[in-house]
Amino acid sequence: MWGALKHMPDERKGINVASVLAVRGLTIGMPDSPPIVDKVDLDLRPGCITCLVGESGSGKSLTALSLMRLLPPGIGLQADMLELDGEDLRELDDARMNVIRGDRMAMVFQEPMTALNPVMTVGEQITEALRVHKGMDQASADIAALDMFRQVQIPAAETRLNAYPHQLSGGMRQRVMIAIALVCRPSVLIADEPTTALDVTIQSQILRLIDALRVELGMAVLLITHNLSLVAEIADEVVVMYAGRIVERAPRDALFGDPMHPYTLALFAAMPRADGRGHPLATIGGQVPSHGERLSGCRFAARCPFAEARCMETYPTLREIRQGHWISCWRAPLEDHVS
Amino acid sequence: MTHLLVVDGLSKTYTSGGGLFSRLKTARVVSNVSFKLARGDVFALVGESGSGKTTIGRMLLGLIDPDAGSIRFDDIDVLALDAAGLRRLRRRVQIIFQDPFGSLDPRVTVGQAIAEPIILHGLRPAGEVQARVSELLALVGLETAHAERYPHEFSGGQRQRIAIARALAVEPELIVCDEPVSALDLSIQAQVINLLTELRAKLGVSYVFISHDMAVVRHIATHIGVLYGGRLVETGPSETVLGDPRHPYTRMLLAATPSPVPGSMRSREPVIGEPPSPFDDSAHCWFASRCSHRTSVCMEGEPLLRQVDPSLRLAACHHAETLPTATPFDDGEDRMTAAYRLRLDILRKARSPDIPQQTSSGSAHG
Ligand SMILES: Nc1ncnc2c1ncn2[C@@H]1O[C@H](COP(=O)(O)OP(=O)(O)O)[C@@H](O)[C@H]1O
Ligand SMILES: Nc1ncnc2c1ncn2[C@@H]1O[C@H](COP(=O)(O)OP(=O)(O)O)[C@@H](O)[C@H]1O
Ligand code: SF4
Ligand code: SF4
Ligand SMILES: [Mg+2]
Ligand SMILES: [Mg+2]
Repeated sequence: MWGALKHMPDERKGINVASVLAVRGLTIGMPDSPPIVDKVDLDLRPGCITCLVGESGSGKSLTALSLMRLLPPGIGLQADMLELDGEDLRELDDARMNVIRGDRMAMVFQEPMTALNPVMTVGEQITEALRVHKGMDQASADIAALDMFRQVQIPAAETRLNAYPHQLSGGMRQRVMIAIALVCRPSVLIADEPTTALDVTIQSQILRLIDALRVELGMAVLLITHNLSLVAEIADEVVVMYAGRIVERAPRDALFGDPMHPYTLALFAAMPRADGRGHPLATIGGQVPSHGERLSGCRFAARCPFAEARCMETYPTLREIRQGHWISCWRAPLEDHVS
Repeated sequence: MTHLLVVDGLSKTYTSGGGLFSRLKTARVVSNVSFKLARGDVFALVGESGSGKTTIGRMLLGLIDPDAGSIRFDDIDVLALDAAGLRRLRRRVQIIFQDPFGSLDPRVTVGQAIAEPIILHGLRPAGEVQARVSELLALVGLETAHAERYPHEFSGGQRQRIAIARALAVEPELIVCDEPVSALDLSIQAQVINLLTELRAKLGVSYVFISHDMAVVRHIATHIGVLYGGRLVETGPSETVLGDPRHPYTRMLLAATPSPVPGSMRSREPVIGEPPSPFDDSAHCWFASRCSHRTSVCMEGEPLLRQVDPSLRLAACHHAETLPTATPFDDGEDRMTAAYRLRLDILRKARSPDIPQQTSSGSAHG
């Protein structure tokens, strides 16, 4: 589709050791048009939460869907590597992929109604997953389902199993979807803005739940959000995406303690904070370029106050500036260039 | 000081059922809500979904009739207004919704949408309407050329600014903002909040600002009302309510708000339970089932909103005075690392080289 993709330099392969889902050079797009998501690398490790952040339109949802091989029709993917526990997901047929989805990899969406079947009770939906993927009989599936509903703290779990999705509140539906996603004990959970539409109180409950379950189940989690505070609370690793590319990738404490990329900094500056009252919030100005209007240089250049000639000309390849801290910016760290 | 808006004892119930097989059920959606807003102030209504925020907002505009209570806007009894009176009120009070898609007609150009209220209320002679539309577009940071386009040609943040321009067309004194930034990206959210703040400074617009984002509320509000199950459980000046909350529910909301200080979640009290059902008519504290400070007193009578300390704040909790002190919102930049502050400082300087630093922490220099 877009010609041969370059392979990652060898030293990157070391990161791969412990990851359950390894992604290299993931590129997503439509035929004969510039890629929407461009050469993304991810490593999801057991028991770890990787947060993917960035403004709307940066390609977070497509990235998530592509990992599940659920891209919308007309949109395709290429990758140098897309491996679940060593199994190459790129060439699997639909039958095999269906076995993996819901069993070893599960996904949670922002709007649970898109994933739940409105004419089946939530109990029927969760036991179906167990019967299909785990070959359980109805009786053992019922027991496991009830247990899972309790684990995600659905009050009055027995009666709720008989409810239809529309009879539940938004927060409860989200818990049901998480229960269905987790009931087969997947090794990878992909959650696309699972709490964006919910109250902070419910958000906090659901995040604690995901946080606890990833430890308990040793699950690797990819959590997509545009809420940086939420990332600070829960992430182990953070990947910042801008216009289809990774601009910064670091362990949580390094990203918050030693942020490097001008885009990451601009996001931090736009947050309303305790000591910013009475001052205007910093805005970024301009917009994320759509995949049709991207220049050859740094994609953030049009909005970056540090942009210089080479930024417009050449894309700054992702480089490891500190151990485990990757950055795609010619001028980072900024203090080396600014008096 | 005379207040621009005085809301007193506002209540709203809905009844449902009552058919052959079901008992008539009464949902108490808003109960006895009172607050005042001075000209130029921002009163934030916060609370979980279903707490009655939108219902109150719509009652303020005469879009929903309350069962009881009064609303006075600039000493006009809003509830006594006839259709012509309500139309006149719309020139002075406007509403902006969360979803800018829903509030703009897709078949009407942005220019026509903004011109409509100007023409309807006869605010400008026909020959000056276009100029006024351009002026309003400029005010919200858009261009005259945008008037020819349709809503779908704009991003979410731009559409929200168009909705604001339309609300401003009548030069309102009060704007009810119902979750105006909840659906927006951080940087767009910042633009819209800055715009609202600027209009307040420039034109003296007042706001009733409905939100469930405590960080945004802290930034913009002068006063806060915390709603729980349709009741105000705490209200007062923003710094007082957020700096030393005296109702356990206010504290729960703050504790649930993520802060950008890494790893702070695990150290905070977890949220338990669910919001109350509006059908619950028991006479104890409605927050009791979720409250870690509950005692037997709390089950005996519903706590009334009252003064609990020398400040202007009111709280509806039997134990408001004796709650331990809390430090819920711990997210100042001074909590961040030196490297973080240094880089943000470099960013600020690069953006506006001539303006001195605005950080209150400031220690990034040394
Ligand atoms: N089904 C689709 N067909 C064509 N383009 C799409 C489709 N879905 C998303 N896109 C484009 O891909 C880009 C990234 O979208 P998305 O992954 O949804 O971003 P995010 O989740 O970060 O907001 C957007 O600019 C959008 O226009
Ligand atoms: N027209 C209506 N009929 C019955 N119940 C309603 C109606 N409108 C709102 N409610 C109920 O009133 C409560 C408060 O709703 P709302 O004011 O929209 O709350 P918020 O804006 O805080 O989420 C909710 O329980 C809602 O279900
Ligand atoms: S490469 Fe240049 S334009 Fe891009 S973020 Fe860095 S300084 Fe800014
Ligand atoms: S009155 Fe009692 S139960 Fe209600 S909020 Fe106060 S301490 Fe908690
Ligand atoms: Mg998305
Ligand atoms: Mg509402």
